[in-house]
Amino acid sequence: MFSDLYYFPYLIITVCIYWLLPKQSLRTAFLTLSSYGFIWYFDPKAVYVVLALTVFTYLIASWMKKSRQTGLIHKIGIIGLLLVLILFKYLGFLAGIINSLLSFFHSLPVFNIEELFLPLGISYLIFKYVSYLTDIHWKVVTKGKFLDFACYGSLFTIFMAGPIERFERLKPQLENGTAKFKREYLDFAFGRIAFGLFRKLVLADWIGYFINPVWHHPDHYSAIFRVVAFFCYSFQIYFDFAGYSDIAIGSSRLFGLKIMENFDNPYQATNISQFWRRWHISLSDWIRDYLFFPMSQNRTSKLWLTFFVPVIAMGLCGLWHDAAWQYVLWGAWHGLGISLLQYWHKYSKRNKITIPVIISQAATFFFVTLGWAIFKNGTGLLSAMVSIKGAIFCLIAWLLYCLVMKVQIPLYFKQRRLITSIVLLMGAIVLFCGANTGFIYGKF
Amino acid sequence: MEEKLIAFITHEFLSDDNVEITEDTKLISSGLIDSFSLVSLQTFINKEFGKRIPAPKITAESFDTIRQMIKIIEQF
Repeated sequence: MFSDLYYFPYLIITVCIYWLLPKQSLRTAFLTLSSYGFIWYFDPKAVYVVLALTVFTYLIASWMKKSRQTGLIHKIGIIGLLLVLILFKYLGFLAGIINSLLSFFHSLPVFNIEELFLPLGISYLIFKYVSYLTDIHWKVVTKGKFLDFACYGSLFTIFMAGPIERFERLKPQLENGTAKFKREYLDFAFGRIAFGLFRKLVLADWIGYFINPVWHHPDHYSAIFRVVAFFCYSFQIYFDFAGYSDIAIGSSRLFGLKIMENFDNPYQATNISQFWRRWHISLSDWIRDYLFFPMSQNRTSKLWLTFFVPVIAMGLCGLWHDAAWQYVLWGAWHGLGISLLQYWHKYSKRNKITIPVIISQAATFFFVTLGWAIFKNGTGLLSAMVSIKGAIFCLIAWLLYCLVMKVQIPLYFKQRRLITSIVLLMGAIVLFCGANTGFIYGKF
Repeated sequence: MEEKLIAFITHEFLSDDNVEITEDTKLISSGLIDSFSLVSLQTFINKEFGKRIPAPKITAESFDTIRQMIKIIEQF
């Protein structure tokens, strides 16, 4: 979306008109209409789905407010939203599972289901609306005005691939919008968008340009190339998605909106639980709040709490990405990591074991990188990296990352924001050169 | 309430029982409490004080110190 030629002209025109309007309600209405226009440009059919889901969710919220049976109505709303997601995204996947089971009994017929089209941004939208209804049920937020809610659902800067913002945070910003455009919005947005474009167009796309052939045909390359490609994918997906989030957050700021951060140096995490507090933060918060906590409440079984809950919750998190087993396995891999970490915490506490931070960070990076092989369905490269060379390259790659991301860029960014932004932007434009491969997370 | 919370957190989450926590010690943002382990804190609060704190309120921003926890518990 952000790499589309029309995105930035559309953003600039929308921002100009937005700030020319005299009242916040008019601005919100205009931003909502602009967002629907943007969705229509990319996927005309999705507009009907987004509109229908918005009306449905708001009606459920209004019904919850009037009725005493909020628990039951909340369940109806959640089931309705999940059924829509299943209908559009998982019907073919479920039919495949049922057919595999039926194949054991030769006399039974096989399902032939035509998959429906996948509306743009449906996974993100459903998660936002589930959080909206659940937060109302938990009395964390009130339902708000329909216009604010419609704007929250369709906001084009974060519509396609998040961050999965909460209505609780966006509602006060839409209700009490600032009267005038502030210079700081432009400063922040310019720096952030430039940084995002650099991360996406220069770092992610060029890494992708070199490693994609190795991932597609691992047999054509020597072990060292496979090891390099294996580890470089960790950086490609990070720069790609973090770059996307930078542009989304920067673009939203031009409308005076503060969107939650989605990344915080994830490869510096000292354990897998901390990794999920730093990687795709809006998704991991969602999983924690609306899956992990409800699944754990009122349960006392240690095995359920420390093993099944993390594996099932993270497996579903994987399935959310796309309807394929590789994503379920990737999620379960991380769930297993979280589960083992809890056992490790108890064991290390009992035996008073402490591990140096650098070892914990490198081990976490290694674990996450192994997970990306499952995510990308590239197990062909696994054999190459489970070796001494693989371990050495892991350490080098991780140290390089620390050097570049932790020390240099943030430091320059703080001290010379404008100059750094211009340099990054120029670099992005000059090095663009057709290596653009689209956003990895855009397809989910 | 403060003493009970400190005793529970020290016993359940801290690797070193000799580490002292005060009502302003940062627990989640400093990594002392792992965010996926917070469910046991929520269960403890529910059992001990009869308050169910919604998960979106149990964050590093609003539930990081004992003082913040008490403030949120009193709201519900």
